[in-house]
Amino acid sequence: MSPDAITLGRRQVYILPTRNGLMFTLVLTALLLAAVNYNNGLAYLLTFLLAGVAVVSILYANRNLLRLRVAAAACPPVFAGETAYFGITLTNDHADTRLGVVIECRKHEVARVDIPARASVTVMLPVPSRARGYLDCPPFTVCTYFPLGLFRAWSRRIALAHRCLVYPRPARAEVVPPQSGSASGDRPGPAPGGDDFAGLRPFRLGDPPQHVSWKAAARGQGLHTKQFSGSGQDSVWLEWQAFAPLDGEARLSRLTRAVLDAERAGLRYGLRLPAQEFAPDSGAVHRRRCLEALALFAG
Amino acid sequence: MTTVTASIGYPDRTTVYWLIATSTLVLAPLAPHVPLALWGVIAGLFVWRYAIMARAGRAPGRLLRLGLVALVLVLVYQHYRTLIGRDAGIALLTGLLALKFLELKNPRDAMLCVFLLYFLMLGSFLYSQSIGLALYLLIAALAATAALARIALPGSALDGRQALRLAGGLLLKALPFMLILYLLFPRIQGSLWGLPHDAYSGLTGMSDEMTPGSINQLSQSDEVAFRVSFQGPPPAVKDSYWRVLVMWDSDGRGWSRGPPAFWPVLSYQSHDAPLAYEISFEPSNKPWLPALDLPGSVPDGLRMRPGYVLERNQPVRERLRYQLVSYPHYHTGDIEPAERQRALRLPPTASPRARELALGWRAQTRDGAAIVATALAHFRTQEFFYSLEPPLLGADPVDEFLFDTRRGFCEHYASAFVTLMRAAGIPSRVVIGYQGGEFNAAGDYLIVRQLDAHAWAEVWLAGRGWVRVDPTGAVAPERIEYGAEALRRLASRGQRFGELPPEALSLALGRGWFEGLYRHGRLGLDVVNNTWNRWVLDYTKERQETLLRNLGFEGATRTTLASALGVLLAGALALLALWMWRTDRATDPARAAYERFCRKLARAGLARVAHEGPLDFAQRCGRARPDLKPAIDAVTRSYVGLRYADLKEREHLRTLRRLVAHFSVKRGLA
Repeated sequence: MSPDAITLGRRQVYILPTRNGLMFTLVLTALLLAAVNYNNGLAYLLTFLLAGVAVVSILYANRNLLRLRVAAAACPPVFAGETAYFGITLTNDHADTRLGVVIECRKHEVARVDIPARASVTVMLPVPSRARGYLDCPPFTVCTYFPLGLFRAWSRRIALAHRCLVYPRPARAEVVPPQSGSASGDRPGPAPGGDDFAGLRPFRLGDPPQHVSWKAAARGQGLHTKQFSGSGQDSVWLEWQAFAPLDGEARLSRLTRAVLDAERAGLRYGLRLPAQEFAPDSGAVHRRRCLEALALFAG
Repeated sequence: MTTVTASIGYPDRTTVYWLIATSTLVLAPLAPHVPLALWGVIAGLFVWRYAIMARAGRAPGRLLRLGLVALVLVLVYQHYRTLIGRDAGIALLTGLLALKFLELKNPRDAMLCVFLLYFLMLGSFLYSQSIGLALYLLIAALAATAALARIALPGSALDGRQALRLAGGLLLKALPFMLILYLLFPRIQGSLWGLPHDAYSGLTGMSDEMTPGSINQLSQSDEVAFRVSFQGPPPAVKDSYWRVLVMWDSDGRGWSRGPPAFWPVLSYQSHDAPLAYEISFEPSNKPWLPALDLPGSVPDGLRMRPGYVLERNQPVRERLRYQLVSYPHYHTGDIEPAERQRALRLPPTASPRARELALGWRAQTRDGAAIVATALAHFRTQEFFYSLEPPLLGADPVDEFLFDTRRGFCEHYASAFVTLMRAAGIPSRVVIGYQGGEFNAAGDYLIVRQLDAHAWAEVWLAGRGWVRVDPTGAVAPERIEYGAEALRRLASRGQRFGELPPEALSLALGRGWFEGLYRHGRLGLDVVNNTWNRWVLDYTKERQETLLRNLGFEGATRTTLASALGVLLAGALALLALWMWRTDRATDPARAAYERFCRKLARAGLARVAHEGPLDFAQRCGRARPDLKPAIDAVTRSYVGLRYADLKEREHLRTLRRLVAHFSVKRGLA
């Protein structure tokens, strides 16, 4: 298994001249010919000084990547079809800034950053996600044109143990039928669709004060409680079996939509899959566990 | 793949500023060498570029650009009647650079501009190789390299100061490579395509004719004529006669070398130890070269002409170094009949009064030495004066000088003396060259300047051969004893020559503290110049061979040299690489110690994951290995203290290192 962080060693950094570097070689050759022809000491000195600069810039380019630590950073889950952002943390423990460090992936420049001395910079590598499940971070290279653009130093392909969880693509809202009698709570679950204001009813003890219609009270109409479709302490079961005629992926897609909607509506919801069951609950952790189960469902 | 920003936004403002500033630096020394009309066009293009950037103007279209290229070509051709060669080439490159400015579409275009600037720096060196220009263009190279860094790192946080520092670091580290290549890269003799013909005007040298005033003209210049380093102690000023030319023929007014003498050069005898020295002769655009009386060897490429003067086939247009030996005391023996005849010839009608005087001396004695003594006594006892501003002379300068004006300097005395000797039947000739010089103790060499130019006489005496006689010495011994510069000093103080008693003379010649300081400064500067000449301007194929010989590469083949060069370069690269890696590793000792600690734990199966902070890691390890917890906590506390708290670095680093060294997954903290 690949590591979740590597430090670039001497054997992992390659270097070759760029097109500009080759052009510079031509320039040096022309300078040398002029120096020879005019037998001019200072022209020789200038030519050799620039040749020296080119040679030294190889070392600079190499050092710009050497001992650079490349580590996997956070990668928040996405829904299939969205772009996954793989965080990659570049850590520089040199006393000098590393300038112009470039992340390239599939021959495309993804990011170009300066990494200050003894600091880290996290860059995002965007990858479009297609199917649910785990999406691996594609191999990428770290390269640099530092200091003069005459040479390109690059690392060998870096494949980090870095993956992104991709949830199933949620079905569009209108295609999700109401929880067709599959809810096993006190009463059939209300139609999802958010916090639509549904009307007023007389206030009962225990109603949350923020739902009291204070406007109506102010008009002297007595205490009333605002009712929202979807509000309340109802719990619903979202069931694999409820979408029976559909194929697996379509069911997962609808269940994902149902989880999102139920969470948004503030319901307590449970999820029942062929081999797994999550008791009704709500909140970010529950939502995440449900979506994760849907993403990794193998049926 | 080089760029991200090859977009509409290119070039950014800073890039343009850098390019304009660097170009101005580089182009300034070329100002006198590019035609004025072209400068107008270039300045216009710079302003245009600026206007484009300030969004006050638009970039020219393709057609207009072609038109501008044509304009530059026409301007250059009109001025030089050619498009190639040094002058036209540089003017052309300058114009093309300015044109490229209008067309900066991406970083590659900007880089090309910088490359052109490097070229133009070399162009400046083709006009002058002075230290000042070299230092100035070093600064320009720094700016150009910084500009290159900025161009290569678009969107980076590199500011101007950092870019200059980066470029400075690069140039500094490039120096060893430059030196190795400079000294050992095989040089070739001559040029590849030939040099422009206009390169040698404005050189001062000694003429092969001596008309009244010609030497005085030379002696107005304190330009260096040549420098001499002696193997032993240098000769006294009064013995330092540097002969350059022998004048055989007189037309009654002036003297000239005349048609080439073709009798053989006779050898001479001397019982002295040879005096060995090396002359570094400044270009004179003349083929003759100085040698100390009397040269006893002929350097390669030179030949000796009758009269013991050195000459080469072509005029000296580059500084020339040659080694010689001389013998201060000599005995030349017999005279060739042709030589004798020529050394007695006088124009038949010229200088009747001088002839009469000489014939009178000859009537008294036939002894040459006695006649010479009489003539010198005549100069000394009659009212003759040495003067740097003698009255103008008419049609018969020798007679007018001898009997009317009696004021003159070396060439008047030498000319009159040789006329007298020939009239008295003593073979004689005028010798011109330099006398004296200034010894530069700081560099251990003698500087001979144009103002040391001198003329003297040589007479042939039976039994002794050619003997040097300096009639100027009879009138102004200071000239001979102390040199031309001392004479100038006396003259500037209104002193007359040949009249001061020795104590008063040395007082009059003494320098004030300021004058002394000035002289020291000037001599120090000359040492720098001389070293510069030696290593930069005159570092030719021969000098390289000498250096290689001294380094022990005597007779090495090209392959050996090439591999030596390769080994040296590789060695320099390896040393530099090691040094750079070392400094990198040494940057954070605390982290290095902590990483050692982590490796020890990793061997026990407790690897720290990428984003686990030291404290979290310690907690996890403590839970996994309660036995190690105290030791782990101690190391972690120490490291975190060093990293994040404001602790005194050194002693705590020592503590951390000790803790890590003693940490063992088997024993805990020992």
